Amino acid sequence: MKLTYQRLLPYLFLSPSLLLLAVFVYGPALENIVYSLFSWSSMNPDWRYVGFGNYRHLFSNHIFWASLVNNTLYAVISVAVQVFVALGIAAVLDARVFKRRLVYLFRTTFFLPSILPVTVVGLLWQLIYQPTLGLIDQLLFATGLDSLSRVWLGEEQTAMLAVIMVSQWQWTGYMVALFMVSIAAIPRDLYEALEMEGASRLQQFRYITIPGVREATLILTVITIFGAFKVFDIVWVMTAGGPNHASEVLGTHMYRSAFRDDVVGYASSVATVIFFITICVGMVQLKMQRDR
Amino acid sequence: MMTQRLTTLALAAALGLATGTGVADAKTTVSFLHKWPEPENMVYFNAAVKAFEEANPDIDIKMEAVADEPYKDKIRVLMASGQVPDIYFSWSGEFGKKFARGGRAYDITDHVYNSDWKNTFPEAALQPFKFEGRLYGIPINVDAKFMLYNTETFKKHGVEVPKTFDDLLAVCAKLKDAGVVPINFGNQFPWAASHYIGEMLAKLVPNDVRVGDYALTRADNELYTDPGYVEALKAFQQLNDEGCFNRGSNALTHPIARGSFLAGRGAMIYMQMVEFGRIGGSPIDKSGWNFFTLPTFADGRGDPGIITGAPDGFMVSAETKHIDEVIRFLKFLTTPEQAREYVNITGMTSSVKGAVTAENADERVLQGLKFLDAASGLALWLDTDMDARSTEVLLAGSQAILNGTETPEQVMEKVRKTALAVKKEREKN
Repeated sequence: MKLTYQRLLPYLFLSPSLLLLAVFVYGPALENIVYSLFSWSSMNPDWRYVGFGNYRHLFSNHIFWASLVNNTLYAVISVAVQVFVALGIAAVLDARVFKRRLVYLFRTTFFLPSILPVTVVGLLWQLIYQPTLGLIDQLLFATGLDSLSRVWLGEEQTAMLAVIMVSQWQWTGYMVALFMVSIAAIPRDLYEALEMEGASRLQQFRYITIPGVREATLILTVITIFGAFKVFDIVWVMTAGGPNHASEVLGTHMYRSAFRDDVVGYASSVATVIFFITICVGMVQLKMQRDR
Repeated sequence: MMTQRLTTLALAAALGLATGTGVADAKTTVSFLHKWPEPENMVYFNAAVKAFEEANPDIDIKMEAVADEPYKDKIRVLMASGQVPDIYFSWSGEFGKKFARGGRAYDITDHVYNSDWKNTFPEAALQPFKFEGRLYGIPINVDAKFMLYNTETFKKHGVEVPKTFDDLLAVCAKLKDAGVVPINFGNQFPWAASHYIGEMLAKLVPNDVRVGDYALTRADNELYTDPGYVEALKAFQQLNDEGCFNRGSNALTHPIARGSFLAGRGAMIYMQMVEFGRIGGSPIDKSGWNFFTLPTFADGRGDPGIITGAPDGFMVSAETKHIDEVIRFLKFLTTPEQAREYVNITGMTSSVKGAVTAENADERVLQGLKFLDAASGLALWLDTDMDARSTEVLLAGSQAILNGTETPEQVMEKVRKTALAVKKEREKN
């Protein structure tokens, strides 16, 4: 009797969260797949079964592919900057090159943007990027570099990159802080031993820091990729996916389809694709963790 | 154990008491959703609801308001989840027709036309709320779009109010040569372009053709093929290419462009009458401003007397269980006294006859209404008049035209393709 009770107890504790997840996460996700098989709009109570029609439309829609490319670009740049550059910055801050106070100052300065709400950051950078009156253009004009001035958020070639850069500005400092915690956990005597052997700072970074933060790097990479494929808010605030869909990402494409074009079944198929992409990234992460 | 049981009992009793209250309440609750949460507007709506509830103690109005953009999301979510408010806001034109077509709006034709209520509104204000000859909405205000200009700047540079489109281009050239931005324009959210394009279409495309295209009732081989469409986009492109607009309009929002104009930078801006209230106290208010309707085209085949504008209004849920109460409230909101109060407090216009007078409205608003009266018709907001998907293609295309990455012909070809697809789907459903 007691044994059964003890065996059941963990399930009892888990059940509220499992129930909530089932109702609010897994249920809707499955429901969404069903929705994607119908042609329907919120205005019209009549649903029409179209099978994979929405998916056929999706895969032949150039805006969908352009969005996917933009998300991938978002992921690649974010991993490069928020993971690898951030690791570099964390290592430099940790290497005792600077006085402790300066390290705190830098860390806080880098970290601060991450506590600002995304909408505030979006509006702030919208002003910085503003043509003619914005900070960037003003700096270019003041330094005689007028020819470099662009309408950063208004041109098809620059809009996506301009938004991606803002994300890097906002989140790199946060990643630096996480890496610093991870680096701090590496035993100091390892560095001292290598230093006595005559290893340079770079060699210490290569042979101690990098292996020491391997796990953190993996997890942060996966989180960054997740974020890049789910991104919506900063893009919507800064460009709304424009101009002419140049900065459209899957999130904004889905939103626009559901809430502007009134093709909710189609929007559900976009959501399903986002769901499968993130599931694949998650499975790769699980596999890599298990393999170690 | 004993204490536990006692606590449980006490809790149960408390719950029972809590749920027990309110049973005796026999009031009818009418839910009401609109898109004017701004403080000055809520002052009016709160007072109106209070006055109505006092006069009708059996009715409880549950009012909610969300702003313009989020409203478009909220109403869709409510529709999809079947929680349609008894009374909800709607733009006129295609936006409202969607509800009627989907069977989500109550047909109020008989309530209006079989009573004196019909005399409250000019027929022109009711027309945009009709679908297949039946009325689905009650107009509350009417708005229109005008080109505002800085009178001081115009005087200083010796330019006159343009009469034709070519005059407008000449005005732009003169101002630009003098180092003044001719027209402030923010098209990051491209509904801003749709207002220009919408009025140009009305002036360049024959009226019956345009109306048939918007409603997707013309034959497949004719849909959106009139040369006036490309001409209108070319005219819009010309405004951009000849330097009428400020630099980087695709990266600026309309409020930022408006801010520039109010601060005295730039000579003109295409603005809605409902925005006039924001001008008071700004530098432009001191230096002087006036407005004109977008000029006509010498060879336009459309209606030169048409201007862009539309009534906003309320629709009733097809599933409402309290139609009598709903009608009572809507009639109350559109009584001359309430309409005058509405104009007085919100600074907006009213669709109720005789509600806007020299006593309660700004002289500029009265002047705008005169323009409206003199107009031969209204071109509704393009993004609420065309079907949503074709509009989205046209709006994105407007940004591409400004950037020079797509031609007017390419954009119209895409609009036509999308419109054909939408037409086909409508026929299936």
